[in-house]
Amino acid sequence: MANHPGGGSDRDDTPGIEGLGVVPAPTHGPVRRRIRRWRYNVPRLSQFAVEHLLLLPLGAAIALVWANTDPESYYRFTFSIAFAVNSVAMVFFFALMTKEVVEATAPNGVLHPWRRALLPVVAAIGATMVPALVHVRVVEALEEPMLNVGWPVTFATDLAVTYFVARVIFKIHPAIPFLLLLGIASDALAFLAAAVLHPAGDLHLPLGAILMAAALAVAYGIRRLRYRSFWVYTLSAGVISWAALYLSGLHPALALVPIMPFMPHAGRDPGFFVDARPTARDALSQFELVWKYPVQVTLFFFGLVNAGVRLNAFESGVWGVPIAVIVGKPVGIFVAVGAALAAGLRLPSVIGWRDLVVIGLTAALGFSIALFINDALLPPGQLRTEVGLGVLISLVAAPLAVGAAWALGVGRFSKH
Amino acid sequence: MMPAFRCIVDPIPVSSPARRLYLTPLVAAAIASAVLLAQAPALPNRPGTLKFAAMGDNGTGDRAQYDMAEQMAKVHGTFPFDLVIMLGDNMYGGQSPADYVKKFEQPYAPLLNAGVKFQASIGNHDRPEQVNYRLYNMGGQRYYTYTRANVRFVALDSNLMDKKQLEWVESTLRDAREEWKVCYFHHPLYSNAERHGASVELRVLLEPLFVKYGVNVVFSGHDHVYERIKPQKGIYYFVSGSAGQLRKGNMAPTEETAASFDQDLSFMAVEVAGADMFFQTISRTGKTVDAGVIHRQLKPGATMPEADRASLDPHVHQ
Repeated sequence: MANHPGGGSDRDDTPGIEGLGVVPAPTHGPVRRRIRRWRYNVPRLSQFAVEHLLLLPLGAAIALVWANTDPESYYRFTFSIAFAVNSVAMVFFFALMTKEVVEATAPNGVLHPWRRALLPVVAAIGATMVPALVHVRVVEALEEPMLNVGWPVTFATDLAVTYFVARVIFKIHPAIPFLLLLGIASDALAFLAAAVLHPAGDLHLPLGAILMAAALAVAYGIRRLRYRSFWVYTLSAGVISWAALYLSGLHPALALVPIMPFMPHAGRDPGFFVDARPTARDALSQFELVWKYPVQVTLFFFGLVNAGVRLNAFESGVWGVPIAVIVGKPVGIFVAVGAALAAGLRLPSVIGWRDLVVIGLTAALGFSIALFINDALLPPGQLRTEVGLGVLISLVAAPLAVGAAWALGVGRFSKH
Repeated sequence: MMPAFRCIVDPIPVSSPARRLYLTPLVAAAIASAVLLAQAPALPNRPGTLKFAAMGDNGTGDRAQYDMAEQMAKVHGTFPFDLVIMLGDNMYGGQSPADYVKKFEQPYAPLLNAGVKFQASIGNHDRPEQVNYRLYNMGGQRYYTYTRANVRFVALDSNLMDKKQLEWVESTLRDAREEWKVCYFHHPLYSNAERHGASVELRVLLEPLFVKYGVNVVFSGHDHVYERIKPQKGIYYFVSGSAGQLRKGNMAPTEETAASFDQDLSFMAVEVAGADMFFQTISRTGKTVDAGVIHRQLKPGATMPEADRASLDPHVHQ
């Protein structure tokens, strides 16, 4: 990280803490100088946390400590903000994820054309069905059949965390778009399963369908009228879409997902999870520029609200999710890709079975999406806690994926 | 009661020096009192009162569960309860039709044959289909309510405390006109067992409703011990999760704990007589490990006095 450009005469040339570029706090000096240092360091630390996706795990870590030290105050606080975080603020997180997908799959996008997605989508069917079956069998074997209801959680793949880990392993490689398309398809199936099979409340689908049709019509009309501001889309079609999902009994956090494709986007995709240029004028880029930081704050609170599980709730059934995703994802991808290849589809030539093992382990990182599905599926109580613990334990898939890559000579560990 | 006394005293050999000591009138009277209180149901056992039993975490199908069930049948012989509330984890492991026989119908056959009605709630080890099992009398519902005498019972599903169930709890408790309101479910709102402890998230959701609508007593299982909690916001809480499973030595009593027992399996016998609810916790060997009486609170939120009578067993913590 570069030094602050506006340091002026107060600029301190002391070397920053490695990786952070943070200037150590002075041990003496006037108060004004100290305040200036804080004003200099805090934004840089914040930027580092945002860019390295640290706020979600930070929120989750605080939640874990809080829930296990003063659970009553933790639950009172988080129950009071759960709706605002999970059903309102998370709308913008899913909107940003959708924005990435819309841009990447549009013409000139890194995941375009869609036919490239065919094999990953087939792989996603294996990467969801097999873990779900494994989960059901495991929780039965562990004598916690009540946890059967949590199987859609095993579908989830956290795109951001997965991308981060995949870049560490593969750097730039066709396995990354394959993995992202697989993750997008898996998450779509997860949302579908959670919404249809375990709605948040009583279903009122006709009412929801009418309102959603109205939201899409409004979005289409705004597009036809060539409005460029994302606010127009968000505050009209987005609000109607939110009401449609909420009143129909489905989770309203996905309200902007069907609206984002209507927003004008740049002619060229800068790349997956590559920041929009500050000068970009199109609606999707503007949306990202405005919401990028608030969404990180949202993710902090999302981790705080949803990851606070009490460790004394540990039961054997906790192992259902980790076993299902760590074993089931690679096996499911193998089975599905094998069937697809037998049917005549082709894998990119540089992706072999070793890569598929690593892809499967990386896709097992459900984290934020898995916690979201868990919250959507299960009310507070033992079952949600056990599944949540399982999701957190599943994060071990990250070092497992790196270890597998090292052992199998994949990506940056390749000998070729 | 005398056979139990004789059984204990008579085996001492006539020539034993100890016999002379034990049979001095004073010592004999002390032993008799202790044995009578420790071995027999000492509830008022009045005719016409509501008598029921509470048990949790019972359905293992192993020898321990059968022993406990035999003890319940023995108690039923002198204390004819006609209702058993089941506090969840009614069945562990396989839950095929054969398991229903092995883990429920066979061990409790004497009680079932005597017309005792079981009313179950479900725990985390139970299959959802249990709600349809005829002898659990759940009417196909995860949560339900019924009235016996002057007591409103509310059985909940603490696995999935969703908004719909919470709304149902509130309306049910608000509309209940009975003198006593008793709730039971699997996961305890208060517990000082080391393995699981309290389900605090459920406490945050349920306790305000219990206080607001004047719930008197709450029974739960999950922790495989017995614990009586000191009244919390005017409500008595019992953990009775050792009618088949036992976690020996798992109790870590705190200042919340009024009494506890973690050395053997146990179940509870309860009698509601007007404004008093008598309870007695009985171990697999028939020993009374805790007993007392709860005086019904007069209005929602009122503070109730402590249980009158404490335990007689050295394992009970006060």
